[in-house]
Amino acid sequence: MADFLQVLATGIQTTVLITAGAFGVGVVLGLPLALLRRSRNWLLRAPVIAVVEVIRAVPPIVWLFLVYYGLSSDLAQLSTFQAAVGGLGLIAAAYMSEIYRAGIEAVPDGQWEAGRALALPNLSLYRRVVLPQALVVVIPPAATYAIALLKDSAIASVIGAQDITFHAFQETQASLQGLSVFATAGLLYILLSLPIAAVARYADRALVQRMAA
Amino acid sequence: MTTLDVPLLRLQDICVSYKGNRVVHDVSLDVAGGEVVALIGPSGAGKSSLLRSINFLETPESGTVLLSGNEVGAGQRRGRTQVSKTALAAHRRDVGMVFQSFNLFPHLSAVENVALAQVHSLGRSREEAKKRAYQELEHVGLRDHAEVSPAKCSGGQQQRIAIARALAMDPKLMLFDEPTSALDPELGLEVLGTMRRLAHEGMTMIVVTHEMHFAQDVADRIVFMADGRIVEQGPAKELMRNPQHERTIRFLKAVRDR
Repeated sequence: MADFLQVLATGIQTTVLITAGAFGVGVVLGLPLALLRRSRNWLLRAPVIAVVEVIRAVPPIVWLFLVYYGLSSDLAQLSTFQAAVGGLGLIAAAYMSEIYRAGIEAVPDGQWEAGRALALPNLSLYRRVVLPQALVVVIPPAATYAIALLKDSAIASVIGAQDITFHAFQETQASLQGLSVFATAGLLYILLSLPIAAVARYADRALVQRMAA
Repeated sequence: MTTLDVPLLRLQDICVSYKGNRVVHDVSLDVAGGEVVALIGPSGAGKSSLLRSINFLETPESGTVLLSGNEVGAGQRRGRTQVSKTALAAHRRDVGMVFQSFNLFPHLSAVENVALAQVHSLGRSREEAKKRAYQELEHVGLRDHAEVSPAKCSGGQQQRIAIARALAMDPKLMLFDEPTSALDPELGLEVLGTMRRLAHEGMTMIVVTHEMHFAQDVADRIVFMADGRIVEQGPAKELMRNPQHERTIRFLKAVRDR
């Protein structure tokens, strides 16, 4: 098992980078999507709803192939890594937008009213009043999603990204000991998910404490 | 107020509806600078809706709001009064509001609560805003709670911080929407004390309240509303002592008999 561990460990970096990259795309793109979806103007709202629902309905593995073959046709060849980050990032953005939306909607009406009564411009109202409070609600489901994304990143191996799962396939073909190899891979994924959960718990506690200080 | 004076606030034929249900019917009301008006009446009378229409938290379906003689908003569209963003912001900067449930920002300390809108709405510098915030907290007797988060304060203290937050904007007019209804009697008393002082300092105030003693002692005028209309109004002590309208008599009797 130690031998397998050494081989599979070469994929850790790719797995972590794909996960972090896709999550980053989701965190950044998800917020404007959430805000557009809350818009009173249906011309802004409708396309976002369509995009989010389409992204969530199509299986991630299909998305990855679509992004990989779709975007790397004539102009520029997309690396498997870029395609994985892009494809999974879009999915993450769709999910994160829903998580943000739930967080924003959890902020009581009275907070919006107080901000409006004080004539806070919309941007300040969001930045200084609503989003800091929404963040507390957003962190636990976002962390859960980050761990789900870590696991989903395994499908990047099917387009050839050399992550943990990719190496596990190769090692299985070489050693013919699939059970041990994939048990090792599973163990690695568990170990990688632990720090995410720890960071989330820490961030959550820090924010809640700040509210009550 | 002489006839030549322009009232600080003039409401003309204000109608407010919720989901097609009209809760305020053609209400007109003038409030002079420095005047304290208590809005009383049974629940569902439209008192809060009328108050909230003054700073457009509830956009009136029709009618006009004039502050210092200037009309806020311009005309009607799709059954709502139309107000430009800049006109609305300017109006709201002039009108402070205190809510029943305080609505302090829970992630900010008391002083940050009072400073926030000074910076982002009035454009004051951070230092200036903070200095002013300390002054206003001092004003409501909470200078020593400046760095504390609202969650650590009693309801009465939270409401006084909310008053400080509104005062720091230098409003021409303060709206109070049942400011003591969420408080037990003792804590309510400290908030009423703060409001009483504010009234003595000459602040123009409109107070929706069920506190009849406060209305009688502090208000210059009491306006009694029922079913979305002003039924009767008059000098506070006179209206309390000698109500004319049958609906007012019934309401005041119910309050006294409790």
